[in-house]
Amino acid sequence: MQSDGSETLSPTTQRLQSFSAADTRGKHRIHAELKRLEQETRFLEEELEQLEKMENASSACKEILKGAETKPDPLLPITHGPLNPFWDRWFEGPQDSKGCRCWIL
Amino acid sequence: MSVAELKERHVAASDTVNSLRERLKQKRASLLDTDVAGYARSQGKTPLTFGPTDLVCCRTLQGHTGKVYSLDWTSEKNRIVSASQDGRLIVWNALTSQKTHAIKLPCAWVMTCAFSPTGQSVACGGLDSACSIFNLNSLCDKDGNLPVSRTLNGHKGYVSSCQYVPDEDAHLITGSGDHTCVLWDITTGLRTSVFGGEFQSGRHTADVLSVSINQSNSRLFVSGSCDTTARLWDTRVASRAVRTFHGHEGDVNVVKFFPDGNRFGTGSDDGTCRLFDIRTGHQLQVYHQPHSDNDVPPVKTIAFSISGRLLFAGYTNGDCYVWDTLLAKVVLNLGSLQTSHEAQISCLGLSADGSALCTGSWDTNLKIWAFGGHRKII
Repeated sequence: MQSDGSETLSPTTQRLQSFSAADTRGKHRIHAELKRLEQETRFLEEELEQLEKMENASSACKEILKGAETKPDPLLPITHGPLNPFWDRWFEGPQDSKGCRCWIL
Repeated sequence: MSVAELKERHVAASDTVNSLRERLKQKRASLLDTDVAGYARSQGKTPLTFGPTDLVCCRTLQGHTGKVYSLDWTSEKNRIVSASQDGRLIVWNALTSQKTHAIKLPCAWVMTCAFSPTGQSVACGGLDSACSIFNLNSLCDKDGNLPVSRTLNGHKGYVSSCQYVPDEDAHLITGSGDHTCVLWDITTGLRTSVFGGEFQSGRHTADVLSVSINQSNSRLFVSGSCDTTARLWDTRVASRAVRTFHGHEGDVNVVKFFPDGNRFGTGSDDGTCRLFDIRTGHQLQVYHQPHSDNDVPPVKTIAFSISGRLLFAGYTNGDCYVWDTLLAKVVLNLGSLQTSHEAQISCLGLSADGSALCTGSWDTNLKIWAFGGHRKII
């Protein structure tokens, strides 16, 4: 950025002025980035602290097994009941699997 | 402080962050005493077996004239909305195969679509960087087109993914190429919250490709990104991600919550699917199996069966593996069946009662699959 009356300054002085302006802009950018990194450090330290008290993976695996085996699932060959007759609606009624073939133009 | 001093502090801070990340990685690894398959085997779980005629293609929905990119079921009844390269959304009755709506889009470059919880509206988004809402009960205009009832503007990049908040026709969440996710109020058309905005922490550092909202706790959603991570967000706290999930070695193309709401699955360009735990952040399982010719094709789409016992995964080479999620074994390849699609499966979704799987493909068709074998109830 050039100040008013810059046309009266020598080219060297003008260049020096624009370098220090660029310096200030660069400084703000680095400062903002530094603040972001310091915040990231705090979050990572919090996460490490949480991990100290965290359960092992096997606890979650145990929960998954329990859940997946108790809920009725129409797509499984072997599953818990109750059987819902609506599961088989896809095999009733018009069996023409082509159905409506109109093309959208 | 001078610029030089600031730069030194910056380097020191970067080193601290990197070293903390490494410590976190090692601490996490030490907590992984088993994975799901290891635990299931230790409990004597037997693998599922599927006969070649157990999962049957019982409908082929024809009508699109371009690749199908996205599909979504209604939360009740049997309707599906699909989005295609042909620049249209089609609303189908999957049971009768009838088309109830064919919506010409203002921008043909659509990437995602979603059905509202009541089934009265559909949303879509794509390269126009906007999300368009259509009320299916509106009257068509003089050209026979359904008018846009609301346009959600604000993203600075393409809209890759959208999903309505459960039980709320007025709110939806989008994921975008601008690295952010947004929660929208459809009534006003305004952004309620931006997740991963420019000055926020724990933000994605590349395009967001997919979002998935927790069905049992709709304040939580996960996002998957080209930055190889998935992130968990709480809609009440837009300023930072709750947790970041590392592990994948390529773009995370798809994220989907596991039915119990405490885990979620991912699919990636690295050719694997993974299961993560939201409370601990642990990577619980990697689903990886070499395809033919030692190919490692990217995973583009996934869906869980209603119990979570099955994981369906669509790959770019046309395979559609059905994984036993507990034993991490492929039990069937829908892509190899004679009745399957003729090109890659780009999107998958389960009906609300879990009785049918819909697949959408680059061959322009959608197919409905259901269990047609002998079912044993225990």
